[in-house]
Amino acid sequence: MSGTMIELRNVHVDYLVQRHGMRSIKSYLTSFGSKRLLERKHILHDIDLRINGGECFGIVGRNGSGKSTLLRLLAGIVEPTKGHVRINGHVAPMLALGVGLEPEMSGWENVRLCRMLMGHQRFDGEGVRSYIRSFSGLSEDDLEMQVKRYSTGMMARLGFAIATATDPDVLLIDEVLAVGDVAFQQQCYRRIEELKARGCTIVFVSHMLGEIQRICDRAACMENGTVVKVGNTHEVGVHYHGLLGIPL
Amino acid sequence: MIFLLIFSEAFPQIQNYPVFALSGLIFWTFFSTTSAHIMGSLIENSAVLRSLAVPPLVFPVSQLMAGLFNLFMSFIPFAIILHFFGRLPHISDLLVLPIVLCFAGFIMGVSLALAALNVYFRDIGLLWNALLPAFFYITPIAYPSDLIPERMRWITEVNPLYHYINAFRTVLYDGLVPTAETWYVIIAMAFLSIVIGGYLFKVLRPGFIANY
Repeated sequence: MSGTMIELRNVHVDYLVQRHGMRSIKSYLTSFGSKRLLERKHILHDIDLRINGGECFGIVGRNGSGKSTLLRLLAGIVEPTKGHVRINGHVAPMLALGVGLEPEMSGWENVRLCRMLMGHQRFDGEGVRSYIRSFSGLSEDDLEMQVKRYSTGMMARLGFAIATATDPDVLLIDEVLAVGDVAFQQQCYRRIEELKARGCTIVFVSHMLGEIQRICDRAACMENGTVVKVGNTHEVGVHYHGLLGIPL
Repeated sequence: MIFLLIFSEAFPQIQNYPVFALSGLIFWTFFSTTSAHIMGSLIENSAVLRSLAVPPLVFPVSQLMAGLFNLFMSFIPFAIILHFFGRLPHISDLLVLPIVLCFAGFIMGVSLALAALNVYFRDIGLLWNALLPAFFYITPIAYPSDLIPERMRWITEVNPLYHYINAFRTVLYDGLVPTAETWYVIIAMAFLSIVIGGYLFKVLRPGFIANY
């Protein structure tokens, strides 16, 4: 797949938050309405970005620079206050592993629930089931077991398997691979490579420049809610380290 | 149960007190539990809402469905009790369904507003749970409405819950059809509640993500 897959034009995102110190109705009522309750906070501003189909695009930036909000914007969880977001395809967000797993339900029931939450059909074909079995490395017994008895690693495996079960057009990954053991991480990278080879567009957020340089073709650096640098991973890496004040 | 035993002694003038009380109580329970569940539904599912593109409205709606299911399940023992007190089922009992529909709409509107505000201000939940018992005693649920002194009648009149409970009771306890006025009031209140609650929910929705 080629051409522009994701296009952001002059995107701004504002959040509505309570004013400082107004976390409860109590504090509002005791101020007798003299203070305003909510205020707008600018999270992202002036973002112009174009990501091509089949590309693996990395995003680096300091904590609080807006990386996660940008991913949520791409995932459709956050709507732009101003500007346009255009995505030509089905997006599979992986912003946190094991989210939406219901501890009281079995592995298979969770697979169904999570995939429904992601907008898939109610019943999955045998293909999806066998993929989940093989990727997660969980036995049929494990998958029939309640998820509350799973270890953290098992949950992460199941979560990753659910998110990547069908080939999405765009896969969004937010530093989720930090969990799990090395074998699991390698398995995840293999799957990412595989999806990439099939033409899936990947947007990958990480603090670790090494990972971005390993799997991404291009990258962007974010600072204070906007994209400050777009280029190949080396250029962006140099820029990022410049911001941090660490020589590369 | 304790309620029924003690109050049936306290109100000897009411025939079949257990039927009288239950025809109010089951709907009160529907109101109090469903509104509390809907109110908490957004923050309880904040992890999902933060990382998947799921419309937030899904969670309040599912809680309302669950509440309706529980209500219909509680009709079964209620029907048995009615039967025990010699009240046979009647075709007019089906009028409960449109009233339930209006009541559900009313609850949904109120709870959507509460749920949305609860995302921003966590003490809304505490406040609501503290207010619920007050509503329970202010509404003639366990006692008949003519026990309220004339000069305080207006409190009952402006209490939306009274009108719904009254409609249910007219059908289930008195075996009558509610008056046209009652219908207007309960439909109008459901409509108003949904419009206001839905509007608040819509206005506050863009900020949910930052406040879960």
